[in-house]
Amino acid sequence: MKASGLQKNILTMALLLIIAVLLINGLRLEHEDKRESSLHEYYLETYEDAGSVNLVETILLNYRAYDTFGEVMVLYIAVAGILILGEEEKEGEKR
Amino acid sequence: MKSPIVKTAGRALTPFVLLYGAYVTLFGVLSPGGGFPGGVIMASGVILILVSHDSEKIKSLVENIEWFDTFGAFAFLLVGLGGLFLSGAYFANLWPRSPVMLILLDIVVSLKVFAGTVALFVYFFKQEVEPSSTE
Repeated sequence: MKASGLQKNILTMALLLIIAVLLINGLRLEHEDKRESSLHEYYLETYEDAGSVNLVETILLNYRAYDTFGEVMVLYIAVAGILILGEEEKEGEKR
Repeated sequence: MKSPIVKTAGRALTPFVLLYGAYVTLFGVLSPGGGFPGGVIMASGVILILVSHDSEKIKSLVENIEWFDTFGAFAFLLVGLGGLFLSGAYFANLWPRSPVMLILLDIVVSLKVFAGTVALFVYFFKQEVEPSSTE
């Protein structure tokens, strides 16, 4: 399908437009839900219990330590994967 | 890459970079920072030395640092399980009033990120110095 330069541009423009509309709608809905949700009030009320001044750090390591654990695991798997994939020449002459 | 300027700059800068990384990690509870950025800053200090110096001693020092990466990840898990066994809830805050848990997790995370980044760099550095036999 030999599309000329112009057709390609129009195609990409249309595609980007659709993606933009979807994103903006998504963000708009996301914003509305936030107002009713009381999670941030809960954070603000009880973050003294964690004993730290830095709310972001408290959320990251205390309220949502499970997510941070997932993040640590993702990083670990990434590093381990690269090192494992690159292992083969070690077997060759070094050992 | 091994010019004396880079060598002396590396030798002069690395302790301060490592110190700053440790500061960012340990003060993550009070000021912005924490485990992840602190670990990477410390890793950049070590990489500065790795790049500028070629001595075998440094190479042997960082040779099998990926084990610290593994140790850091499992230490994070142990802290979570510790919370589960000691007080019922996974990743529970064992010292509610004090930031002990936060600092502990910060240190573990920064150790892991530090070791992982240095291990990655050592691997890529080795590729660049002696390309793998397949080429």
